[in-house]
Amino acid sequence: MNQNFTILVRRRPYSGNLWILFAILGIGILQLINPAMAQQGNTFKITGTVKDSLGLGIPGVSLQVKGQSNMGSVTDGDGKFTLNAIANATVVVSSVGFKTKTFIASLDKTRVDLILSSDDNNLSDVVVTAFGKKERREAMVGSVTSITPSKLKIPSSNLTNAMAGQIAGVVAYQRSGQPGLDNSSFFIRGVTTFGYKQDPLILVDNVELTANDLARLQVDDIASFSILKDASATALYGARGANGVILVTTKEGVEGNAKVNVRFENSISQSTQNLDIADPITFMKMYNEAITTRNPLGVPRFTQNDIFNREQTLNNAPGSNKYVYPAVNWIDELFKESTNNQRLNGSVSGGGKVARYYIGTSYNRDNGILKVSPVNNFNNNVKLENYQLRSNVNINVTKTTEIVLRLSGTFDEYNGPITDDGSFSADLYKKALHTSPVLFPAFYPADPSTGIDTHILFGNSSTEGTGNTVGYSNPYADMMKGYKSFSRSRMSAQLELNQDLGFLTKGLSFKGMFNTNRYSYFDLTRQYSPFFYNVASYDRISNQYSLNWINNQPGQASEYLSFEPGFKDVNTFVYMQGVIDYSRQLGNKHNISSTIIATRQQRLYANATDPQTNLPSLQYSLPYRNVGLSGRLGYSYDSRYFAEFNFGYNGSERFAEKNRFGFFPTIGGSWVVSNEAFWNANVKKVMNKLKVRASYGLVGNDAIGAQRFFYLSNVNLNGGNPAFFGQNNGVTRPGVSITNYANDAVTWETSRQTNIGLEMSFFNSLNIIAEVYKQHRYNILMERASIPTSMGLESAVSANLGTADSRGIDFSADYSKTFRGGFWMSGRMNFTFSQNKYGQYEQPAYREPWRILSGQKIGVRWGYIAERLFVDDQEAAASPAQLFGSGASAPKGGDIKYTDLNNDGKITEADQVFLGLPSTPEIVYGAGLSMGFKKIDLSMFFQGVGRTSFFINPSDVSPFLQNRQVLQVFADSHWTEENQDLYAKYPRLGTTAPEISNNLQTSSWWMRDGAFIRLKSVEIGYTFPDKLAKKAFLSNCRIYFNALNPFTWSRFKDWDPELASNGFSYPIQKVYNIGINVNL
Amino acid sequence: MKLNYKIIILIAIVAGMVQSCKKYLDVTPDNVATIDYAFRNRNEAENYLFTCYSTLQNMVPSNNDAAFTTSGEIYFPNTLTEATLGNREAEQGFHLIRGVQNTDNPSLNYWDGEQLGQPIFKAIRRCNIFLENISKPKDLPQFERNRWIAEVKFLKAYYHFYLLRMYGPIALIRDNLAIDAGTEEVRVKREPVDACFQYITSLLDEATPDLPRTIQDPAQSLGRITQLISLTLKAEILTTQASPLFNGNRDYASFKDKDGVNLFPAAFQAEKWSKAMLACQEAVKACEQSNMSLYHFVSPGNLPTIPAPLKTVMDIRQSITENWEKNSEVIWALNSSFNLQSMAMPRLTAAMVQNMGGAPGNFAVPIGMAELFYSKNGVPINEDPGYDYRGRYAVATVAADHKYYMKSGYQTIKMHVDREPRFYADLSFDGSCFFGNGQTDPENMLFVQARGATSIAGPKDNIRVNVSGYWPSKLVNYQSVFGTEVTQAGFKLPLMRLAGLYLLYAETLNEVNGPSAEAYSYIDKVRARAGLKGVQESWSLYSSNPGKAASKDGLRAIIQQERRIELCFEGRIGWDLRRWKIIQDVLSKPLQGWNIQDATPEGYYRQRNLVIPSFGLKDYLWPIKYNDLIVNPNLVQNPYW
Repeated sequence: MNQNFTILVRRRPYSGNLWILFAILGIGILQLINPAMAQQGNTFKITGTVKDSLGLGIPGVSLQVKGQSNMGSVTDGDGKFTLNAIANATVVVSSVGFKTKTFIASLDKTRVDLILSSDDNNLSDVVVTAFGKKERREAMVGSVTSITPSKLKIPSSNLTNAMAGQIAGVVAYQRSGQPGLDNSSFFIRGVTTFGYKQDPLILVDNVELTANDLARLQVDDIASFSILKDASATALYGARGANGVILVTTKEGVEGNAKVNVRFENSISQSTQNLDIADPITFMKMYNEAITTRNPLGVPRFTQNDIFNREQTLNNAPGSNKYVYPAVNWIDELFKESTNNQRLNGSVSGGGKVARYYIGTSYNRDNGILKVSPVNNFNNNVKLENYQLRSNVNINVTKTTEIVLRLSGTFDEYNGPITDDGSFSADLYKKALHTSPVLFPAFYPADPSTGIDTHILFGNSSTEGTGNTVGYSNPYADMMKGYKSFSRSRMSAQLELNQDLGFLTKGLSFKGMFNTNRYSYFDLTRQYSPFFYNVASYDRISNQYSLNWINNQPGQASEYLSFEPGFKDVNTFVYMQGVIDYSRQLGNKHNISSTIIATRQQRLYANATDPQTNLPSLQYSLPYRNVGLSGRLGYSYDSRYFAEFNFGYNGSERFAEKNRFGFFPTIGGSWVVSNEAFWNANVKKVMNKLKVRASYGLVGNDAIGAQRFFYLSNVNLNGGNPAFFGQNNGVTRPGVSITNYANDAVTWETSRQTNIGLEMSFFNSLNIIAEVYKQHRYNILMERASIPTSMGLESAVSANLGTADSRGIDFSADYSKTFRGGFWMSGRMNFTFSQNKYGQYEQPAYREPWRILSGQKIGVRWGYIAERLFVDDQEAAASPAQLFGSGASAPKGGDIKYTDLNNDGKITEADQVFLGLPSTPEIVYGAGLSMGFKKIDLSMFFQGVGRTSFFINPSDVSPFLQNRQVLQVFADSHWTEENQDLYAKYPRLGTTAPEISNNLQTSSWWMRDGAFIRLKSVEIGYTFPDKLAKKAFLSNCRIYFNALNPFTWSRFKDWDPELASNGFSYPIQKVYNIGINVNL
Repeated sequence: MKLNYKIIILIAIVAGMVQSCKKYLDVTPDNVATIDYAFRNRNEAENYLFTCYSTLQNMVPSNNDAAFTTSGEIYFPNTLTEATLGNREAEQGFHLIRGVQNTDNPSLNYWDGEQLGQPIFKAIRRCNIFLENISKPKDLPQFERNRWIAEVKFLKAYYHFYLLRMYGPIALIRDNLAIDAGTEEVRVKREPVDACFQYITSLLDEATPDLPRTIQDPAQSLGRITQLISLTLKAEILTTQASPLFNGNRDYASFKDKDGVNLFPAAFQAEKWSKAMLACQEAVKACEQSNMSLYHFVSPGNLPTIPAPLKTVMDIRQSITENWEKNSEVIWALNSSFNLQSMAMPRLTAAMVQNMGGAPGNFAVPIGMAELFYSKNGVPINEDPGYDYRGRYAVATVAADHKYYMKSGYQTIKMHVDREPRFYADLSFDGSCFFGNGQTDPENMLFVQARGATSIAGPKDNIRVNVSGYWPSKLVNYQSVFGTEVTQAGFKLPLMRLAGLYLLYAETLNEVNGPSAEAYSYIDKVRARAGLKGVQESWSLYSSNPGKAASKDGLRAIIQQERRIELCFEGRIGWDLRRWKIIQDVLSKPLQGWNIQDATPEGYYRQRNLVIPSFGLKDYLWPIKYNDLIVNPNLVQNPYW
């Protein structure tokens, strides 16, 4: 088959030269390694420092020469130590919260600088804060959550899906499971504004990137992952930080031998839950019922014979013919049970005195669960391939100068079926549910009577009584007819210069950074037009049928592929940053630290289109720019009292000159109670740490609307409102339209935030951080509601009028303990509660108080209050009028009865109230437990959300509308004349939208509880014994099996509750994964 | 000290950076397009002129027109399994006669430009922007500037009139309010209807002198406003003002705004009819001076000889569908073609069955509308003693003398026999012949077979179905071909044509002076083209009420029926029924269709109720959206809403 339209789909390496370049670079750096040699000798003195992975000295680290109980030392406050040792003896270096390390004392190496890596089971004591500054947790004044990157490791190639429930203060949820489109939505401390941009600022190595870039980051490449939540932590970002900041840094090389880390995972992925659809016989019976229940004189769609013949087909009875009397399970035709995905990544890191390097590469392949038929020679299953390269090189140019070069590239190749709406979201689930299961088969086998074998004989049916009109959608043909693909890449180059200016004055340093990245994207479609056939005649005796070509008009069907170019996007980004740091200890107990940061960034779009008109626009082609000057002044006294002042002074090109710059100051302070003298050793035994902190200040948000320049009007002088004249309408002008009116008063949205935090540590093993916060967001840009239509304005006028208020709690606790005999366990949990409400919101002065948005929660829907179903037609006729839409029929018994709140005798918009809880969960929580014994480790993690509602879209689920199939849950429970259940799951059936328009309204009838809890991940691992590993020349080797989303508990059973309203989108996936991780 | 020095340098560097930053943010060049650029030269200004026209060109009577959809002339079912007009929303105008209009989100909302309505206030604002700025282009010659100003003033008047006809008293936007106008200022009030009429006609009076009498370069400018259009519009406006809805309407006597100002005139004023008559007279005179005349079909060379009865049919059909520049009768049409021919087209051939979507034919004309047409004697069928009115539903066979109207020998009913030519020209029904659709042999015309599901035009599904059995084929160009492929010969549906103006003139003459020879003569011109004898002759010879034409009330009824027949389906009658204040009567009876599922004549020709219309007193004027009343507390809602 198909020899007539053979095409080659061959993947070309996206950028082969680049791979080679990176490889050469990597090898070159490997040459710089200078491994130390061990030698023998007598007692001698070793000096050095012990630092953490972020380069800060660790105080109180114990160093012990093995077998020599008298030879030991402890590091001082800066991590420095002096140790007497014997040559060739082993020195054990250990400290709470860090992995123990050993080295061999050697005579010709009297200076030893060590780096201890933090123990994953503890909250890191070092936190990466704004602009990558590393701070001890103790000294933190602002609210920063940092998470050990390995906690984000799940068997998925999308990092955003690991965030829910893992990080206190982050609200995240996933609404689709389709490879490439499965990003979770995430918000820091919830949706704190109803303005334009609600999601956080994402910075990777200090560069602003998108959620897609974050999603593709490899956990193995991440050195730190921090969430900046309050004003004090985000103030340095000034006008960009109001929605919180996600800060990620990537790994750098560490001095030492080359370390190789390789990880391979293979996973089996399947839907967490499939939709349950009624069988074809039930479908036909209910269809007939739907006709006759609305119109007693209506003619049933299916005769008894029709039903009987399909029953025969389903039973595979002798004499049945599944092509003539089809009974199709479309879901089975289109989807398979599960699919296989692979992920491979590796890194090499190491370095010597002069240079250190980290090179990471990865390849991920995520496949969809579509069935691929061999009859096409192209594969249109959903497939997302992602390649990445990352190279971070640190070079010490002089003793005080370090240059860091970071190069990275991320490349996505997506391939998938063609969708109706032009997007990439596979709507095949929707299609499978929107066609008749009994009218035609997916396709006919090659038919000898037609002799056609060059194309697939797709089944379809003409509209009743007609010959040649294709009447239905054949989802199988939709899936098979072609494919759509996109290619996306981002290349980033970054140079950093770190200069210690200690020679000018002690404690002064300068950091400069330059980054540019280039993004490109294109998509395209290739497809043929399917040939549709129906059965023309059937001879029951010989069981022979002949086919009729339905779409036989020229241009309706083709065997060859057509090509359609798609959307193309190219943009560039340039960023510069300079930081001057000055920190110094004055006397014994006074510490000051200060920072001044200057930044500027520019983004340019090649396809500058106005989002309102989708036309190229000059205004949108102008560079997007931001400049900022920010600073921090910190003071601490005796490690007990900390105070900090931060400010951001930011400018954005979008505002009129007078409003262009904004000043955002914050103050904060903390008190480490446990460092006080009165906190004696006895107390410390129980509660070894107690710290209180608070902050207050302003942060801004300049992404307040899609409009480019608020102070300029946007007039399209070449399009919008055309007219034409002349005999043949040949004289035409495109007309003028106004997309925006100038308004130079528009300015930032500002958030005033207060945060109070409490940090505690008990028994050296239980750490608790609890925070409460309040935010007041003001100057939210919103459309004026007070301008009457008679003004005739062509576009809405907006002003900084809105306010919103938020409050919430972030709580996290972790516990870890090692028991005798090699058994260890750790547990952690976190809890995020955030509640966000509309403050001022300009609305018309409604008479009905329940329509006022102010005081309602952000993200809440409004609709009618459904009381129950009408008992009978008489009751429906006697109740307040419920007519929705001009062609609507009046409701009957078994239709939904709504409450007439304002008692005006009719159900109108004025009777709608705010229903339920917001669509963004108010509570997100997670809890995990890990344990290990010797070489075996086991961990599991539960995650859940609470206090959220969603609405089933009745237009999406109502049977028979647009040939929709019947969900089993509605087949089981719907109002019928025989069974007049006033609280049935589905009201009285109907076949057209006007008939049942009453039931298609948003109402509490369709509201569901969105809360759920799921076993998000469970993992069991085995690390091979050192001996065994050594034999294979490996330093470490671990294999593991894990599962993602294996179990879910929820009150809502019809589909995965996390999909919420999007029940027909590609389901969230349940993944079983086996992986191996090898270190050389 | 050394340290301080360095710190000062650092601060200086930082300060310098901040300064350069300010420049860095100035990204907008000077020449970013603003509205000023729309009037820099003649070309740009012309572009803006077209923009002023653009809303108008979207207002071709069709599914979005209140008069087209709510006059009871065309019924559109609400039970189709699939939407055939693109989506369900597109049908909403037709459903209004079910009484589903509401104040929350009114259908055909031209006040806000929602629910198929055009945003008229935006259009008016554009007109005002044009008038404010048109003095700016330096290369625009004065005569052209004057013409453009006149055109835009006309448009501004027409937009206001469109709202006035729908809503009664409206807010007059004489000048644009500034974008940052205060809250009180933007809360405009509705002005009394007579003030509205006064303002609109004064705008037309300002515009008329500077307009060209007719279009001299139709290839370029056909569709631009002329004096004839302006004069005819003024005639229509003044007639509307004089008509019962707006002139002494007691139902609105107590309609006041929030300051207690009466929005409707309390008493009938006869001189309004005189003013209207003078305006009609001026318009008629101007048209006749410009050689306008009622259209007669000139058979193109490629057609065979057309027999006389068919010629009359084609005179009638082509007076609507003939190209404007060849049509001596059309005063004004909009340049957008009528886009729903496929809805008015019956299925005629097997090829059309194969492509049912090509011509769904959903526009169903109720039986009552078919009965409105005269008998062949030119009088109402219930007044014609020679017409078997009582036995009209009895089955009859088509005789050979009707062969250019109906298929000879076909089974039909008496009602379809012996009717005036407009009946056969404007309607298609079971057995009727159709000249066109690729078949132009008069002796071999295609004909409609519509009885039962197995017939070609019958109900094959619940989507592409005509539920009454009558198609308004007046709205189909005979040159359009529907088959497996569809080729539509577009036509511009007239907004004003001479036949309408004649009847309007006759109406005003009758209202001012009663029946007169002059009044008869203008009705008779229209009747003559339809193949009918004059009013006096027809009534005296054939009517059971021979004196009808001699009384003012009788002649008014005659003119109204004549107008309803002549201008049917053109989107005009709805406005007339409203201004005459008789639409409540017209829509008081059920709309009926034939029993389309039955294949036998006896079974087919049984009446079925399609809908019982609901038209109340409140429906004469459109409701203003509830939200608008809240946003602007100075607005009052229309009575009874």
